[in-house]
Amino acid sequence: MFRQNKRRTAGRKNFEPSIFQGVTQIYNTRLSFYDIPPIDEITLEEFETWAIDRLKILIEIESCGLRSKSLRETEQVIKPLLLKYLPLNPNPSSSASPPASVIAERKKDHYSHFILRLVFCRTEDLRRKFIKNELVLFKIRYNMLQPKEQREFIAQYSDKLPWQYISQDEKLDILDDLFAATSSTVRNSLVFESGDPSFTISRDQLYQHIQKSEQFIKLPFEKVPNLVASRSVLLRAGSAYIPSTLQLNLLSIEYQDLLTTSLIRTFQSMPRLEEDDRLLPLLNNLSANSSSIEYDMSSKFDAENASDINAVSVTTPAVMKHYPMCATHLQGALMSKSHLKYQGRQQLQLFLKGIGLSIDEAMKFWSYQFTKSNSGITMEKFNKEYKYNLRHNYGLEGARINYKPPDCSRILSKPKPGKGESHGCPYRDLPLDSLITNLNEMGVTDQVDINMVVDDVGRNDYTVACTRVFEFTHKQELAKSKATSSEGMHINHPNLYFDRSRQLEKSS
Amino acid sequence: MTVATSSAGLSSETGAEDTSSTTLENTPTLQSFTRDSENDADGGAPAKKRAAPSSSDMLFYYERLLPFRYIFQWLNHSPKPSKDFTMREFAFEFRSGAYQRYNSFSNQDDFKKSVVNANPMRFEVGAVYSANPKERKNLPKSALKPLSKELVFDIDLTDYDDIRTCCSGTAICTKCWKFIQVATKIMDASLREDFGFNHLIWIFSGRRGAHCWVSDKRARALDENSRKSIVEYLDVVGKHNVKSGKLNLKKPYHPHIERSFNILKDQFATIILREQDPWNTYENNTEIDKKLDELLSFLPEKALQEELRKHWKSSSSNSLTKWEDINVFAKRTLKSQLQVNMLNDAKKDVILYFMYPRLDMEVSKQVIHLLKSPFCIHPGTGNVCVPFDPLKSLVDNDEDSDYGFNPMTAPNLGQLQTEIENWTGNGSTGSNSGVKTLDYEKTSLKPYVDYFAKFVNGLNQEELSVKRERDASDKLDF
Repeated sequence: MFRQNKRRTAGRKNFEPSIFQGVTQIYNTRLSFYDIPPIDEITLEEFETWAIDRLKILIEIESCGLRSKSLRETEQVIKPLLLKYLPLNPNPSSSASPPASVIAERKKDHYSHFILRLVFCRTEDLRRKFIKNELVLFKIRYNMLQPKEQREFIAQYSDKLPWQYISQDEKLDILDDLFAATSSTVRNSLVFESGDPSFTISRDQLYQHIQKSEQFIKLPFEKVPNLVASRSVLLRAGSAYIPSTLQLNLLSIEYQDLLTTSLIRTFQSMPRLEEDDRLLPLLNNLSANSSSIEYDMSSKFDAENASDINAVSVTTPAVMKHYPMCATHLQGALMSKSHLKYQGRQQLQLFLKGIGLSIDEAMKFWSYQFTKSNSGITMEKFNKEYKYNLRHNYGLEGARINYKPPDCSRILSKPKPGKGESHGCPYRDLPLDSLITNLNEMGVTDQVDINMVVDDVGRNDYTVACTRVFEFTHKQELAKSKATSSEGMHINHPNLYFDRSRQLEKSS
Repeated sequence: MTVATSSAGLSSETGAEDTSSTTLENTPTLQSFTRDSENDADGGAPAKKRAAPSSSDMLFYYERLLPFRYIFQWLNHSPKPSKDFTMREFAFEFRSGAYQRYNSFSNQDDFKKSVVNANPMRFEVGAVYSANPKERKNLPKSALKPLSKELVFDIDLTDYDDIRTCCSGTAICTKCWKFIQVATKIMDASLREDFGFNHLIWIFSGRRGAHCWVSDKRARALDENSRKSIVEYLDVVGKHNVKSGKLNLKKPYHPHIERSFNILKDQFATIILREQDPWNTYENNTEIDKKLDELLSFLPEKALQEELRKHWKSSSSNSLTKWEDINVFAKRTLKSQLQVNMLNDAKKDVILYFMYPRLDMEVSKQVIHLLKSPFCIHPGTGNVCVPFDPLKSLVDNDEDSDYGFNPMTAPNLGQLQTEIENWTGNGSTGSNSGVKTLDYEKTSLKPYVDYFAKFVNGLNQEELSVKRERDASDKLDF
């Protein structure tokens, strides 16, 4: 996209036809792996608007991910947005080469992807996020393709894909095992393809189908960790056998690998861009936009807010009433049992750190809580087994990383609490009756309100449920400060819940 | 070097568990059993048997018995010291509870000397890094990246506490060791047949569990995602299912589960119904109602559940009878073939639920996770963490071949010391005077060291042949 070997002012070719055949060729199909960078020039305005349009879509995908929506649900949300911001129309069947309007759509898609690579290549975190969201976008779009287009797409990239279809003989040799391992996956995809939810197929028909028409791909099991983990493929001597209906998974794995390496390469060549004073402010602006949805801890540590947070005050109602349910639940367990298991300690220690509990106060708080009962933990044992861990979280031991409190998606991605553990997200992990008890204790007693929360939980929208509880428990304050508050703000971080709650209390 | 006052982070789980149990108060079964089995042996130093070793005992063991040579070869994959060994992290755990990470050694002698000097309670093996771990203070952080490590698994009998009736906590006996035995068979089959690994070895963890080390090059190179996927593939029962008492397995069973079931089904009657006998209602058992409910919850049809519950309430019986009762009552209650099929599936689920291996998943997931080295001494019991063959006993003891390995007669440091003291040469000729008998060869540790050496040898032969091929093709390219 940037000519590094030419002076910026030299050789403008805005009005010349492109001499690069490869570029026009990649616009022949709707979908692309974005393996060829664009080289034509575009205006600064296009640069910015195209990037913003794509960013809007990625942000929406991100927020769907935070609410743990399934791919199908995300598709519902994203499709109208795609139509508005980044439409990609199929080739009209009549003409051989796509018309200019279609080319323009594909060009915008192509350029916007590469511009956002520049925006998101700079840190590990940003790269991970970008790849995750682009992958979802890719899957949604692949599913929107017609079967013919899907075949064309695979044919186009056939030399890049490390696939090997097994022969019919090999398939028949292991047919029973293939059936046992993959029949439910194949059945699901047949149902999905038919588009009819009442579609049924008998066991024998399914067996016939797998025997006759299903193709299987063989590849090293390391390539498909998700399918191995869910036991939806057959494994034999280190190879995974995958029904070709799952090739979207494989495609996205290839796409992910490709994107990962190219983002790092982009990052490495960033310094050469530094001299370009037109693009950098734009890029900075764009990446600032994308991260504003994240909880920022640095702004939190002003003394004014944290001054009243200490070992004693964190157990008082005045502070605890601002806790989200996960923190109340954890601290409640700690105070009653005088102990928390590792994951719970991690989660609560970092939450408390986030609300401004200093290391000295934290030491007081935790040692008191652990030693207060007669359960056998002495001060000596505390110092031996728990002190290091606490100091580690404050960046005072080991690698000295100043750990941030985990956000909701991180908490939700951790292993669910086992017996005697209290970490995680109570909306997901508590049985319904204790969830309702907890809601009552937080002051959510109206049956209609409770039902709404329970519905969210049923849809796996845990952060939505939490946000809703926030809105219920802060009705008055929210009403008063309507003008200034960021109403409808989604809570995706326990500390965000706490901060907003305190802010509202102060401003009202 | 960092000496932490507590075993934080990585090995905290395994570490904390064992240090807290260095006293022997929790192991009555182990002690009483040992006394029985030692009756025929000479009473050399009975006080030392199966007891926490002192630091001079440990020093003796490191200086004279621990086979550093084979551990070095196992991790080095080549006769001359290679990066696989020199950039490997080792951690020491001391009596004080201090835990020292990021040790690394330049060769076998350095390895032995450092362990002898430090004389830790035990040492653990970590990953191979992109730089020398002991020099990490002088390096930028990004230079120390974990590159490879054996794929490891940890099975611990404490995870079976809700289903084993013979022992609990840190105690074990030959009955509950059978859980480990079937677990090793299932894991062994899957790792070899499904994942194609060949070089794996099982190590007794010294008290109540077993570790598995997979040393194939491909296994060592796995990234964390793949490691996670393998443990999840193998984790059929799962912690959540243990909690909810339900298995949600797809039917037909995945070939791995079907194979596991076939391994388990023949032993279910012996291990669970006869020996563990969890549903025995002759004796007073406070948890029995819960256990019966758990069993019934697997079965289809409320009517069948209720009939059985009533019957079992009315008269006492053992588990074997109850298992047969299920069929008897089902004949009366179930009407359609569909229901019978469901019952058969449910019974398969019960067998899997009670016997399928329960893994400590976290150990296997991370590349940088450390795990106690083979041939360490368990600080609580004095047992040597010896390798074993899940299929047959390494010592010629027919009684033990039932378990493959009998943890109750595992080599123990106290016993080894006695054996060395009492050793008088192998009696016979003594003509091959040029060969000095190594200390471990004078003890019952010998068959285990030999077994390990054979394993290491097999691994390194393959490594060498791969390397030779590579060298050859390099030359051709030239």
